[in-house]
Amino acid sequence: MNQEHFIIIGNGVAGIEAAMTIRSRLSVEDAKITVISKESDFFFSRTALMYAYMNTMQREDLEPYERHVYTQQHITLLRDTVTDIDAHNHTITLETSAPLTYTKLLIATGAHPRHVPFEGIEQATDGVVNFVSMQDLDHCERLTPSTSHAVVVGGGLIGIELVECLMYHGVKVTFLVRESSYWPQALSHEEGSRIADLIRSHHVNLLLEEELQQIHTDQQGRVSAITTNKNQKIDTQMLGICVGVTSNTSWLKSATTPPDIQRALCVDKFFQTSLPDVFGAGDCVQIDLGMEQPLIETIWYSAKRHGQIAALNMLGDQVAYAPPTFFNSSKFFDVEYTTAGQVVNTPAHTKSLWRTHPSQPYLTQRIVFDPTQKDQVIGFNMLGSRWNHRILTQWIEQRRPLSYVRKRLHQAQFDVEFGRAKLKAMQEEILNHD
Amino acid sequence: MIKQGTLNRLKHDITHRGPSAWALFILLLAFYFLLYFPDKFEEGARVFGASKSTIASMKSLGNDLNIFEHFMRWLGPALGFELKKWWDPVFNKWTLYGTIYTLAITIGGALVIRRYKHNPYQIVRTSVVMLVQIIFGFSLPILLGANGYKDYYFSYFWPLKIEYLYPENLANMPIFLVLYGIIGAMLVVPILGAFFGKRWYCSWVCGCGGLANTFGEPWRQLSNKSSAAWRMEKFTIHSMIIIAFLTTGLVIANYLVGDHSPALQKSALIIKFLYGVFGVALLSGAVGVAFYPIKGTRVWCRYFCPMAGILGLVQKFGRYRITVKKDMCISCGMCSKYCEMGIDVRAYAQKNQSFTRASCVGCGICAEVCPRGVLKLENKVDPDPQELSMNAFLSESYKQEPHRRAV
Ligand SMILES: Cc1cc2nc3c(=O)[nH]c(=O)nc-3n(C[C@H](O)[C@H](O)[C@H](O)COP(=O)(O)OP(=O)(O)OC[C@H]3O[C@@H](n4cnc5c(N)ncnc54)[C@H](O)[C@@H]3O)c2cc1C
Ligand code: SF4
Ligand code: SF4
Ligand code: SF4
Repeated sequence: MNQEHFIIIGNGVAGIEAAMTIRSRLSVEDAKITVISKESDFFFSRTALMYAYMNTMQREDLEPYERHVYTQQHITLLRDTVTDIDAHNHTITLETSAPLTYTKLLIATGAHPRHVPFEGIEQATDGVVNFVSMQDLDHCERLTPSTSHAVVVGGGLIGIELVECLMYHGVKVTFLVRESSYWPQALSHEEGSRIADLIRSHHVNLLLEEELQQIHTDQQGRVSAITTNKNQKIDTQMLGICVGVTSNTSWLKSATTPPDIQRALCVDKFFQTSLPDVFGAGDCVQIDLGMEQPLIETIWYSAKRHGQIAALNMLGDQVAYAPPTFFNSSKFFDVEYTTAGQVVNTPAHTKSLWRTHPSQPYLTQRIVFDPTQKDQVIGFNMLGSRWNHRILTQWIEQRRPLSYVRKRLHQAQFDVEFGRAKLKAMQEEILNHD
Repeated sequence: MIKQGTLNRLKHDITHRGPSAWALFILLLAFYFLLYFPDKFEEGARVFGASKSTIASMKSLGNDLNIFEHFMRWLGPALGFELKKWWDPVFNKWTLYGTIYTLAITIGGALVIRRYKHNPYQIVRTSVVMLVQIIFGFSLPILLGANGYKDYYFSYFWPLKIEYLYPENLANMPIFLVLYGIIGAMLVVPILGAFFGKRWYCSWVCGCGGLANTFGEPWRQLSNKSSAAWRMEKFTIHSMIIIAFLTTGLVIANYLVGDHSPALQKSALIIKFLYGVFGVALLSGAVGVAFYPIKGTRVWCRYFCPMAGILGLVQKFGRYRITVKKDMCISCGMCSKYCEMGIDVRAYAQKNQSFTRASCVGCGICAEVCPRGVLKLENKVDPDPQELSMNAFLSESYKQEPHRRAV
């Protein structure tokens, strides 16, 4: 019997999807599968951390699979930290358990919060939080009862989620956003301004174009106040830093056989790293697709796809990664958001059909199209109602012109019964992007 | 994490199986015992052929325990209503129960509407449930009773109200009620079920479901999501269908030939009694409602209701479905957590699988709580309104360069 050993570092969605894919092809006799993680005993949904914080779910509810599934699928779970890789000998070293030998290895270690050396952050031994891991959640929960005012820095999705959680617990929140509107990486200025209004309507003290300058601490080392670049001093007991994430690969740099690492762990389109039999997937990788810039995707959907396709390549298939047309969705307080294709930083000659509602400010649709290419639609940004992104991306892939899409927009609606957004009531205008 | 403050902690405690939830459970259990069981002592003794003296002592025991009945008989005169007038039949314990029940649905329903005020499906559905209860579940039966008729609930059908097809009851009903009951149970309920799924009944009309979706709303998340619970559900619910058919069949057979066969007569009486005690009083009443704070709101509906069993079979082959938007699920688990039928909705959603589960009552809460709008309740055969053209295949090669990061 020649049993292969597949070792997967990281029990996030990329790692677990890979493990499940491998098991669906190879029986226990053929393959042993081990998943190692330092963060939690079982795979949990990172995207749902906020619901645990807001008590709409309990910790165990975050686990996407019943616990017995892993026994049933013969996937061994190991709670440990991997500290070294020796690709010549096909071994990995662990912090507490004995070294392990692999046939194929997958690095799916995800991402961790980006570190910014704010002034005073070294002195702050307590009160500074991130919102990415289970331990971050524990940390936030420990601090919440002794916090009456918190400051959250960073105008992205994790920032607004943390703000919402703190508001739920009755904490007064100041939300510092460097840009002039909320989340310009995905929203136009007008859309971002509307969401900024929404955030303010929930009694959040939103400060746009204002940055964290300095952190002040009390005698115990707990955050007591911050100063912004506009010299505003704000008293606070908790400081949430949500300024983005970076690949969790620093530990690999000092490995016996370090793989190529740039901004993230380098993999080719088959998810192969520079080391033989070592693969990478999820938030921790940058993929070389032969384009100018390697691709770094840090969302749930991409990590899931990476895991599945990396597993096929670990099994010996040659499946190249071809990312589908971009789509994503989110929720800002109670306003839902769906996007597809390209909607920001599009070429100057493109335009948007901007649809607004006379009385519902958070119900908007923006359809980006290219007048130089027969009005071909290239992106959708939809706020305040539900859309089937499958149909939206299909229209983009079919290169449908604006007139075609405009007539059929209702076909892509996905609202609840009796609750379809009234598209006829929308007012339209064409926006230039230059 | 629980919100600070005593009131918030209590709210968490009572909705998460804390001591206060257990206290409420015991209280509700006692209530249902005193409501249903006093009538059963004497009947049981008779059915099982006990001696005269036993029957008499059972009767007096039942009478002593029948405190809600005594309360109502006291209440009438206390309010100035002389008994033995036309309103006399109104002053019984079932009116008391109906009043409490209707209040629970009305107040709970108003709170549910407030909670989901942005979701028209929930507003329409809850309003219908409240109206059906106020009109067909409460006012009409009382009016009928006061006017000397046997009370009749137009919103219930066989086999949920199993006695509605017992021949000895049919024999005493006006012909239009007989037709209403038979056509309703045999044709209308299943046909509507084939078109709209069981939801048209279980979360729009039925009073049991109505109470669960209004008063019971705070406990809906307690349903058991494990696959073991699903296996048990399939066993119990199908057994109950068989039991309901057997019971009805035996009662009808006895009506037709009973006089010639004392053995049949005796077993019909016994099974009718047992179904009344275990099926109706114990399971649909005591277990059905008292278990809210411990096991979630739909224990009776999920594991035992014979009507749900039949409608579930119809639903499996009908048009109703929950459509899953492909690839958009973030596996957060809100849908599974808040499904009152214990369906692991996330298991389907994260596999991109649209589905119809026999037990789904179509309450629509999974779609409501999903933060990514992945789920949609539909009655359509074809899930995708978009024609798939040759163009779509040809243009597969056209792919955008993904260019931005979300977080
Ligand atoms: C609060 C929050 C909300 C989000 N919401 C969304 C959303 O709504 N939509 C969306 O698309 N995306 C969202 N994301 C992003 C999404 O969660 C990630 O893209 C996804 O979880 C990445 O999965 P992964 O498997 O690559 O890595 P991870 O889930 O990060 O898993 C990596 C695991 O590896 C472990 N690990 C790391 N190093 C080692 C080591 N040396 N030894 C052992 N174990 C190690 C880590 O502890 C971790 O458990 C959100 C992220 C956060 C933090
Ligand atoms: S399952 Fe039975 S009791 Fe529950 S709502 Fe449906 S018909 Fe009524
Ligand atoms: S699956 Fe959804 S609609 Fe069906 S019972 Fe569960 S929550 Fe209600
Ligand atoms: S609530 Fe929505 S996103 Fe969350 S697991 Fe269910 S279907 Fe997926």
